[in-house]
Amino acid sequence: MLTELRMLKNINVPGLAGIDVYERVGGYRAMRKALLDMQDDAILHELEDSGLRGRGGAGFSMGKKASFIPKGAMDKYLCCNADESEPGTFKDRLLMQKNPHLLIEGIIIAAKAAGANKAFIYIRGEYELQASILEKAVDEAYAKGYLGENVIDSGCDVDLVVHRGAGAYICGEESALLDSLEGKRGNPRLKPPFPANQGLYQGPTLINNVETLCNVPDIIWRGAEWFKEVGTEKSTGTKLVSVSGNVRRPGNYEIELGMTSADIVYGLAGGPPEGRSVKCWFPGGSSAPVLLEEDLELPYDFESMAQAGSMLGSGAIIVIDDSVPIMEVALSVARFYRHESCGKCTPCREGTNWTVKMLERMDRGDATPMDLEIAAQVQSNIIGNCLCVLGDAMAMPIGSLIEKFRPEFERHMEEARRRNGIDLNGLEPATLASDDHSGPMPTILESRATAGHVIAVTPDSEPIA
Amino acid sequence: MSRPEEKFVTFEIDGREVSAPEGSMLVDGAKYGDVEIPVFCYEPKLGAPVGACRMCLVEIEGIPKLQTACSTAVKDGMVVVTGSDRVKQAQNAIVEFLLVNHPLDCPVCDKGGECPLQDITFGWGSGRSRFIEPKRHFRKPLELSPLVAIDRERCILCYRCVRFSQEVSEDFQLVFLERADHTYVGTHDGRPYVGPFSGNIVELCPVGALTSTAYRFRARPWDIENAGSVCTLCPSQCNVQFTVRDDTKVLRVMARDNEEVDDGWLCDKGRFGYQIVNAPERITQPLVRDGGELRPVSWERAIGEAYKGLDKAAEGTAALVGGEATNEEGYLVQFLLREVLGSPHVDSRTGGRLDPEQARTLARPDLSARVSDIDFAANVLVVDTELVDEAPILDLRVRKGARRKNLNVVVATSRPSTLDPNAAGTLRFAPGAGEAALAALAAAISNQGDVADLARRAGSDANTVRAAAEALTATKGPTVILWGERLSRGPRGRQAVAALLALARAVGIESDDGAGMIEVPAGSNGRGLREVGCVPNLKPGLVDSDERGLSAAEVPRALAEGGISALLLFQADPLRTHPDRKAWEDALDRANFVVGFSDFMTESLLEQANVVFPAESYAEKDGTVTHPDGRLQRVRQAIGRPGEVRPQIDVLLELISELSGARLDVSGHVVFEQLLAGTVPFYRGLTYEEIGGRGVRWQDRDGAANLQQSPLPSTELETPPGLPTEGLRLGTAPSLWAGRTTEHAPVLRFLAPFQRAEMSAADANRLGVAPGDEVEVAVNGTSVKALAALRAELPPGSVFLIEGTSKDNANALTNGGGAPTVEVRKS
Repeated sequence: MLTELRMLKNINVPGLAGIDVYERVGGYRAMRKALLDMQDDAILHELEDSGLRGRGGAGFSMGKKASFIPKGAMDKYLCCNADESEPGTFKDRLLMQKNPHLLIEGIIIAAKAAGANKAFIYIRGEYELQASILEKAVDEAYAKGYLGENVIDSGCDVDLVVHRGAGAYICGEESALLDSLEGKRGNPRLKPPFPANQGLYQGPTLINNVETLCNVPDIIWRGAEWFKEVGTEKSTGTKLVSVSGNVRRPGNYEIELGMTSADIVYGLAGGPPEGRSVKCWFPGGSSAPVLLEEDLELPYDFESMAQAGSMLGSGAIIVIDDSVPIMEVALSVARFYRHESCGKCTPCREGTNWTVKMLERMDRGDATPMDLEIAAQVQSNIIGNCLCVLGDAMAMPIGSLIEKFRPEFERHMEEARRRNGIDLNGLEPATLASDDHSGPMPTILESRATAGHVIAVTPDSEPIA
Repeated sequence: MSRPEEKFVTFEIDGREVSAPEGSMLVDGAKYGDVEIPVFCYEPKLGAPVGACRMCLVEIEGIPKLQTACSTAVKDGMVVVTGSDRVKQAQNAIVEFLLVNHPLDCPVCDKGGECPLQDITFGWGSGRSRFIEPKRHFRKPLELSPLVAIDRERCILCYRCVRFSQEVSEDFQLVFLERADHTYVGTHDGRPYVGPFSGNIVELCPVGALTSTAYRFRARPWDIENAGSVCTLCPSQCNVQFTVRDDTKVLRVMARDNEEVDDGWLCDKGRFGYQIVNAPERITQPLVRDGGELRPVSWERAIGEAYKGLDKAAEGTAALVGGEATNEEGYLVQFLLREVLGSPHVDSRTGGRLDPEQARTLARPDLSARVSDIDFAANVLVVDTELVDEAPILDLRVRKGARRKNLNVVVATSRPSTLDPNAAGTLRFAPGAGEAALAALAAAISNQGDVADLARRAGSDANTVRAAAEALTATKGPTVILWGERLSRGPRGRQAVAALLALARAVGIESDDGAGMIEVPAGSNGRGLREVGCVPNLKPGLVDSDERGLSAAEVPRALAEGGISALLLFQADPLRTHPDRKAWEDALDRANFVVGFSDFMTESLLEQANVVFPAESYAEKDGTVTHPDGRLQRVRQAIGRPGEVRPQIDVLLELISELSGARLDVSGHVVFEQLLAGTVPFYRGLTYEEIGGRGVRWQDRDGAANLQQSPLPSTELETPPGLPTEGLRLGTAPSLWAGRTTEHAPVLRFLAPFQRAEMSAADANRLGVAPGDEVEVAVNGTSVKALAALRAELPPGSVFLIEGTSKDNANALTNGGGAPTVEVRKS
């Protein structure tokens, strides 16, 4: 049972971003312990034993990931993924802004465990303030001899570079992050090979999220057992959650994994404004399938969210109340991922743009329930077929929105149709709502059969770009 | 053996058991079981798969998600399903997604009928579109370059062209711009995509997004036929297929993948140079000088005139054979000279004689490498050749090795090479000092001799030579040496080749399997012409000639002095391609009789020829050529001959008949199989049928034992001469674009080179010359004009001019006697 804050314990200590204050509250002692008193294997063992799962979204065991890094003398790298871009997620921003040395300490320890002596913090371009705070903190750590050659006479070399991204969501995907870091266009790579074997500059690379690495010093200092005291069996420790949307007290909260979701949304964040109720909520950023109000009774941990058909993801809870039209939610999510799709693989590139165009047409009322069905099928055609998970990141929430709010979508389309006076080629919308989708498409202007193949000629109304 | 042995694994696909080579990707492995998996982005020639198009998704037992067959290697016991509902749905979905923004303008698209997107849509798509939104629009078509038009609406963003530019030709020009569905292929700042290999992207494009401006709207797939042949525009001798319409016109050239020759790539000269075939300025009738001018005449008259002229001159005739001549033509020319006219003076080289012993040593099968050896070698040494200009496809081959196979590249040239960035070591030597450079390198590797002194004679220093030697020997394994014919030119050519052989011995060429040398000749068929006897001191089969023939370099003087009175120019243009232009001008002036065979009017013929026979283009002739690695390949007739053009071997045979009085009425393959292969001992028994469509390396046949044995010479080398202490040394450099392709192929005209003087910044500063300044490069009162160009990697003391330009040709300044010292001044 969590009785006091862990990661955020000192977050409001004035001057914590400076190395002196950080050391006064116990900073860098875990680094000394790890570098001077512990073998690499012991560190790895402690991390694995703690059950710490990646806090960036995938929730993979951090210790296990570090243990995949091959042993032996070669160039190995550690990359801290600070490209926090998932809509609704702002926990890493807090950590980097207020407690940058915690991250640096975590990086030094993790680098030693992985045998990496070159580390990078890849920080999203929009985090200018946080990047400059980090740069200053890195300079301080170098000045103290905590970074560079032979850190505190341990024989360990760790170099750390803060690298700013240029504002692309895709660069938070680990292999795209590596390409971007190498100076290339940030596009995801084909996996395998996985970064643990061939990552940055083809060398073994450990990639971890900011929050994950910030957990490392305490695990080393206090031990895995201490870490596991809170949380559930498979979701150990505490988690920062960023609560946003229609709540009275949005913000970052450190919670024990496994606490009831409602206690976060209502207890901590104050629930929706007076007189409104929760329509749905994203439990782990905008790429997580939405859950409904009744799902708030579920424990907030990795397994329960997965069982409910969604995911804990980055721990960003976005609450949507009943004042928000679901079409608006869907459009906003779809537009984001369409804008951020890197364009490399087909289903994501074309599927996101098709989805947005369909949703926009539905929003205008120029659509039938059958279009809704096609939109749902497009989502399932995207899921699992892409090069990376960005396509899924749109298709999963959109699919879940259509599935859970179909009547509201249909109502929205019908109202918009009447409002905008749209004539669906003389057909009553009701007659088009059918499960049989093999019939002719109503808005295809002309179609003709050529050797058993139908070529659809569609209206080209957009001006030449 | 350095090549890994191929192992097979057995897996199951769609219920059948299939054996496929270990390590092959499922897409390729499936073909062994006659299962086709559709792909767009996958193209093994481009290197590692990218998995971008997602067309090849298949189900693999034990893996929950569908996997891309292009990036999954076959494994023993793997169970693969390509036809399940799940896979079908994914395939339908990908086709549907690809067509979302595709304009489906197939009826007006050049690709229609030969379009992978069309085929896969019919084969694997659902047959109907549910997309009714407005499509993405781009301005179109645009010129990506003067050679390639781009229609971005048709583009399915498969990455092939971008990968080609980034990872094969390494020109790094094509990139993806913007992102999501706004992504498009382009160049930085919208500059034109111009490079020696740019045309390959047209062939790689699986849709009609990239089209050739030369071929656009010229034909539909059902109007055309493909005719396989070999491109003879350079020594790479790439296997090509001509796209022929109406049996009379070549409309396009495409690669005919042959891994042993070209890896499936073509250079732009090979791809677009076919336009010379249809050029209106072709010579299509026999011409005879009459009243001071060349006038069209009947064949009878032209043959008669040639007969008279040659009969009169007899043993006073000399022949120059151009590099594009086939083995059959070369053989007949030397036969005409040696056996009919009694003259040993026939030469296909431009730079002096070749030592007979060395020629045979260089031809030794155990010392010669095949092109594909580059793929499996540990080291490649590039000596005195700029591959991208002289044999461009070999440049790509070396790049591929360096990029994908960790090939260790060392470049030893006097002019900075485009391969320098890929090289582990470079050795820059003064123009003409190849002999000293190679001797120094051999000395450094074998630890014998005075490296410092030799390095100084090469215009380098001991440290650089040692570093290059170290780079060349750091990796254990076979070494392939690619060297340029120019090394063997000039009065010290023999010593330079001796140094090369000493170096070859030092790096273990003779003992290592997979090691060897490939000489890059100046002429496309340089090797073949040498082997069939088109050199003054070697008869067919590299057999010593009893009589001492004059080399091309000695002919002008003999003409001036009267020892020679008639000249046969067989597709040769000495004013353009041979050193010492002035001497050739005088000599041609003096010649009593000049007979030429040519497809275009040349400067040499225009003023001086008495008879000109029209020559077939390479698309119109039948014959064989020999690749620099010894592969005999067949050039096959693709189209009918225009006008009154006759096969040149027929004309040569007729001249031989007329002059000898013996009737010779034989066809091309008889010339080859009975006369040529009968005379050249190591070609013995070779037939057109055996050569077939892929060619045969004579070294791989039993007949190779018939090559007269020559030992490797001793490693004792003469001391190379020192360098002059002051003045700029003139080096000449080949250009892919100097020559008739850029003059007569309209689409390539924009690439015709102008003369430029490349020099180091230090020299330019000293002379007060800025880049782009017009300068004069002069030797003994003769000068050529050029634009100054600075090259950072060029060591001071050298200046380079391009060979074979139509104006300001560098050969005005060279006399074949090594690198002259020149003066450079601002005009």
